[in-house]
Amino acid sequence: MSGLREKILSTASDLFQTQGINSTGVDTIVATAGTTKMTLYKYFSSKELLILEVLKAGHQDFQTWLNDKLNANAKHPAEKLQKLFDYIEEWITAPEFNGIGFIKASAEFPKEDNPVHILSAEQSIQFQEYIKQLANEANIQDADGLSLQLSLLFKGAAQAEQMKRGSDAIKYAKIAAKILIDGSLTR
Amino acid sequence: MEIFDSPWLINMLAKSSKTPQGRLLALFDILHDWLKAPSFEHTSVTLGASCLSLVNYCLDQAKLLGAENPELLAEHIVLIAQNAARHAMLQPESNSLLHAKIVANALIQAQTQKTGLAANLKSSRTVFYGVAASMVMLIGAAAIWGPMLIHSRSAEAQLAQSDQRINNTAANSAENQNKTLTAIDASRMYAKYEQMRQGTCQFPEALQIPDKHKSIYLENVVGGKLPTDLDDLSVANFYLEKVRCNFTPMLMAASK
Repeated sequence: MSGLREKILSTASDLFQTQGINSTGVDTIVATAGTTKMTLYKYFSSKELLILEVLKAGHQDFQTWLNDKLNANAKHPAEKLQKLFDYIEEWITAPEFNGIGFIKASAEFPKEDNPVHILSAEQSIQFQEYIKQLANEANIQDADGLSLQLSLLFKGAAQAEQMKRGSDAIKYAKIAAKILIDGSLTR
Repeated sequence: MEIFDSPWLINMLAKSSKTPQGRLLALFDILHDWLKAPSFEHTSVTLGASCLSLVNYCLDQAKLLGAENPELLAEHIVLIAQNAARHAMLQPESNSLLHAKIVANALIQAQTQKTGLAANLKSSRTVFYGVAASMVMLIGAAAIWGPMLIHSRSAEAQLAQSDQRINNTAANSAENQNKTLTAIDASRMYAKYEQMRQGTCQFPEALQIPDKHKSIYLENVVGGKLPTDLDDLSVANFYLEKVRCNFTPMLMAASK
């Protein structure tokens, strides 16, 4: 992959996260990345395509990071589930946290037929599926239910934290997650 | 989606339950039913749509139930409701609003069970709200009975006496138990809370409680929280025993 393509991608990602997707123009992206519009359009035929690529890369980063952390620090499937919110907390409370890409994107592109909205909805489902997989491995009876609950809890906490940094949203979400997980494990 | 900002929703919530927790959780049932109603055409839920009046209403409930961070609880519950409502429109069979209700209940617990003892006693969760409900009745009862009692000397004398007794009891039990709150004390109090939850409880003399006991009474008897301090426990227990309850089932009482 070209270094310039990477540079444009990471610059756009930073700008989208800090300033919002809609309010970041292509001009700003090329100026910040130190390149030209022509080069940008060589790699990404439209701004929309660039947004989609940024979202894909961001989601991949988040999922890989989370998965690596869980695999490295939790042995049993139930332990992975229990530690999930510990790492989500670590991600969300990091100083560079600017929101979860797919949550922000679906808010900025509320129209359901918009490709950005469609992708962010898919990523949201993927994340819930990931939790469901952890729940299944931990032999949770209602893995569907628990994964939906944890994903609703996570999304709300991330949004609350996006709205107000240092809100403690994830702190309480973590306690609530423990209540929900413990309840499902003993059932 | 305008429903999140509709006075209708807040009216429905206000009528839904006698407890602040019940009113917060009713949000999910109301939305669940609303989205299932065939007569409505639901277009879309705008995420982050302004619903200040709903957030404020939830904030009042969160304060009433003694949440540690009521602003956050209200905000988080409304966000969860919005996300779940969107989810429900895409996948009605997922019953996402009912799952969201479970999540909201866990969040309420997270914000109300402090540390140590209360957190260890899992059975405690429903008790608090039942007792909180009785506070509403208590305030009502106090408003009627209170003025009569204020000028009653004998009541004052009686309470002064009991105040003395409480201090003695507290001192004694503190010595006897080496400042540790036993599980038996705790479970006894919880049994009483649980019992109170089944009935309509009154303690109009609460208005006459010495000031220094008022906060203990409000937090631990009305609020249904177990005190962690042994002296407080004695005080709370004393008043807890004084609360009079009518255990006529609600429906029977209403039909009289």
